[in-house]
Amino acid sequence: MGRTLLIGRLTARDLRRRPTQAALLLLAITAATAVLTLGLVLHGVTNHPYQQTRGATRGPDVVAQFSGPVTPGPFGPGSPPPGQVKYSPQAIAANARRVRIVASELIHAAGVTGHSGLYPVASAVAQAGRRLAAVVAEGRDQTAAAVDQPKLASGHWVSAGGIVLERTYADALRVRLGDRITLNGRPFRVVGTAVTAASVPMPNMCYSSCDYGLPFGPRGISPRHLGLAWITRAGAQALATPSDPLGYVLNLKLSDPARAQAFVNRYGHQFAQNPATSAAPSLTTWQDIRNVDGLLIRDETAVLSPGAWVASLLAIGTLAVLAGGRMSERIRRVGLLKAVGATPGLVTLALMAENLILALAAASAGLAIGRLAAPLITSPGAGLVGAPGAPSLTLPIAGLVVGVALAVAMAATLWPAIRAARTSTVSALAAPVRRPRRRAGLIRLSRHVPVPLLFGLRLVARRPRRALLSAACIAITMTGVVAVLAFHATADEKLYGGGTGITDPVMARDTQMLLVLTVVLLALSGINAVFTAWATVLDARQAAAVARALGASPEQVTAGVVAAQVLSAIPGVLAGIPLGIALFSVANSGSITTVPPAWWLVLTAFGTLLAVAALTAIPASIGARQPVAGILQSETA
Amino acid sequence: MNEDGGAPVLRAQGLRKQFGSSDTLVRAVDDVSLAVAEGETLAVMGPSGCGKSTLLHLLGGLDRPSGGELYLAGQRIDQLSERGLARLRRRAVGFVFQAFHLMDELTAVENVELPALLAGAAPRAARRRAAGLLEQVGLADRAGFLPSALSGGQRQRVAVARALANDPLVILADEPAGNLDSEATLDVLRLFDTLHTAGQTLVVVTHDSRIAATADRLITMRDGAFVDETRLTGGSGGSLGALAGLEG
Amino acid sequence: MQQEVVLAMLAKEPSHGYELRARLGEALGPLGDAMNAGQIYVTLTRLEKAGLVSVEHAAGLPDRPDRKVYALTPAGQQRVADWLAEVSWPRPDLAEFHLKLVAAAAARLADPLSIVDAQRRELLRRLRDAQRAALAEPARSDAALLLEGIVLRLQADLRWLEACERNWTTRKGRP
Repeated sequence: MGRTLLIGRLTARDLRRRPTQAALLLLAITAATAVLTLGLVLHGVTNHPYQQTRGATRGPDVVAQFSGPVTPGPFGPGSPPPGQVKYSPQAIAANARRVRIVASELIHAAGVTGHSGLYPVASAVAQAGRRLAAVVAEGRDQTAAAVDQPKLASGHWVSAGGIVLERTYADALRVRLGDRITLNGRPFRVVGTAVTAASVPMPNMCYSSCDYGLPFGPRGISPRHLGLAWITRAGAQALATPSDPLGYVLNLKLSDPARAQAFVNRYGHQFAQNPATSAAPSLTTWQDIRNVDGLLIRDETAVLSPGAWVASLLAIGTLAVLAGGRMSERIRRVGLLKAVGATPGLVTLALMAENLILALAAASAGLAIGRLAAPLITSPGAGLVGAPGAPSLTLPIAGLVVGVALAVAMAATLWPAIRAARTSTVSALAAPVRRPRRRAGLIRLSRHVPVPLLFGLRLVARRPRRALLSAACIAITMTGVVAVLAFHATADEKLYGGGTGITDPVMARDTQMLLVLTVVLLALSGINAVFTAWATVLDARQAAAVARALGASPEQVTAGVVAAQVLSAIPGVLAGIPLGIALFSVANSGSITTVPPAWWLVLTAFGTLLAVAALTAIPASIGARQPVAGILQSETA
Repeated sequence: MNEDGGAPVLRAQGLRKQFGSSDTLVRAVDDVSLAVAEGETLAVMGPSGCGKSTLLHLLGGLDRPSGGELYLAGQRIDQLSERGLARLRRRAVGFVFQAFHLMDELTAVENVELPALLAGAAPRAARRRAAGLLEQVGLADRAGFLPSALSGGQRQRVAVARALANDPLVILADEPAGNLDSEATLDVLRLFDTLHTAGQTLVVVTHDSRIAATADRLITMRDGAFVDETRLTGGSGGSLGALAGLEG
Repeated sequence: MQQEVVLAMLAKEPSHGYELRARLGEALGPLGDAMNAGQIYVTLTRLEKAGLVSVEHAAGLPDRPDRKVYALTPAGQQRVADWLAEVSWPRPDLAEFHLKLVAAAAARLADPLSIVDAQRRELLRRLRDAQRAALAEPARSDAALLLEGIVLRLQADLRWLEACERNWTTRKGRP
């Protein structure tokens, strides 16, 4: 009990003595853990909303899509681009008959327990205001369907002249209830928005529903700008033209939903064997839809997890800088504790207690922030039921985050703590300052350069490990920033979709998240840079004072300290560029990464170095103007 | 008090340094006036806390006076900016500290050449001069040694060589033998004697009477003010034999 | 000149007077120059009278001091042995100065502080002389060692004088 009290008192006193430092540390670890929490929570959210939607809408197990009288696939071998061939009424009617036969087969197939459809499907160009997009419009009944009845998010169900848009689509087109929208020139009024489990919402709809012969390509509409809507059957039939005939969709419920893929394999095989039946449907299982739908969230986690890594690494770096800075004080405390009989284990604990406590506090704060921020990311724009309100903060997630926070605190302070605990009591009490290293080569080199550079080089040579740490932290920052730049370079095209004015929801949200992440990253780096500058200036204080006593001017000394920091930052900046691009490529998982233009990178590099220089110059110049006598006397005390 | 035939190298008039606010005011240096002639060795003695170190720091521009005037080689220096003071230290003043303040990671010769490099001398010229100075203080064979490999007396001698690097007008020594044993003190004494013979102006602050005895003139300080001044040259009245107990 | 010192100088071998003088001079360095030449002979005569030293005249020469050869008697040798084993230390002379200050203060003859300052100045000058002499001798020679001893003694005395100064300054403050 007494020992715990002792450690508690020592820690409390430490925290009280340096409140700013403790506060900034808390901030750093909190930022890292918040980002981490967000990433983990979103990761676990993938399944949930889809399941909810499926339950709420009586989602289908298999969706069968039939196209008009063309081979499935928009640009199948030899088939003409859509809209350029006129089909005769006979061909259209014959196709419709064949479709009904196949549908009937499917409905009566083994394992099928329910169905809804056939619904006619028209593909058209939708225009809302100046915005152009492609739309797949299903013709539905007023009465609720047995399978796949989309759940309304607002407004009411289809009526004559009315159109219900899928929710993400409505957001992307920026239309509200009551707005007017034209399909192929025909006016409709938006009467409601809804969500469904039978299709992947925009922008990934093409993964499952690109088989209707859609107006891409010539019109310049991106496949990512394809959305789902529901109208009356009559409305769908009215939309059909000889060159753009109707397609059909059939929703099936199986006795054994888990084996939907087996069902698809069996019937897909059968249809493939019978090419005479040109009404072969394209079959999609509910698991496929769910997986593609999950891509939406996966995109976001793809941005968040590297972000969390970068933030965590920066937090470690900041802690390590601080830990290194108070070494002599720490060693002295070790000596005192040992002299009164503390075991090495207790000593180590006493040394790390402060950081561990801060880490725990920061972890709780980070968990809370991450948990609160998660709904902001998952709810708007996700074409799924409701707010996944409680993205579950499960015990494993909390445990992992706390574990990471503790690991961050320990990683930074364990090594100095162990080393301090292992020094003998006598040498610890004598508290020698860590001897500066000698680098004869650098010293020789520094003689031939102007005084500030001489000073800077020698400072770097004195404490190579600190210089390395500085470089590492700058490298991490640059990595994050360059990754963001690479994202922007790659996404510019995707995002602004050729000027149609339609926002790609995933890209929009990614950009938002990246903005937040970038701000967090820059703030963390700022804290880190301030700490590093501070530590360097403190460390160089005595050397600077002696130099000034020997005739160096305050400007020379300040410039020297700044030079030291900039010199150690340069390799970090250079390393960060390829690392950042690599990080983005990994996060982008295989899609083509555009390397940011050279001038962006050069500008960022110079900006970073300038920031480092400025952040160091301020404490350095303040220190360089203090009277030398005071510094020299205090250092020898 | 000037020596005949020469303006003083260093002159202070009513020099003051105080710390703290009105009710906790500490007058570390209280209205001190002195003049150091060229080639003279001046010692300032006094108990610890009497302000002699503060006075030395003021004389060398390591600290700013609260009042009074200070002249070095006829130029007024108490109003200089930090940059001006730095230039001063570069060209005209050499310091020797009690704690040596050598750079631990530099060899003896690298330490000695540092002031020259800071003043902008060419590296080779600085190195040559440093080697020469080390020879003057009798440490030519230790030029490549790190301070940790040198004894206290040797370290202080390196510090003296460093103070001589830019051929200063005056050398200011603050308790030069404070951290040394008697043997090392002798080495430093010998060195100061040599410097004095070579005509170097020297101001030494000490509480050790042996160091003080090397001076031409001794000033005693107490509570920030001068209380006594003695001219030590001119020999004593008694014979050394009596001191040794050879008579009677 | 202490008698035992001269006796001890003869312990190595019988010597002439001038040889003795030379040996002493070497050991004392510059201090030896101040030594009175006649003193040795006076001491030797005394020792002869006390029976500790025997004298031989060089044959066939007039009775001049230079020509005598001095040697230790057995009693003299014993005396030397006893002297070497003694551990008494040369007496310091502080009581006289201390009483000087007390008397001056009591009788208001002079300010004790100015007495202390004057004495201090004198000692400092002597310290300077001794130190310069010490530095002039080759290091580690006998003479240098002796001078070093003088210097250190003076240093100790000066420290005491500083204490006197402090003490008498505060006494002034008291009624």
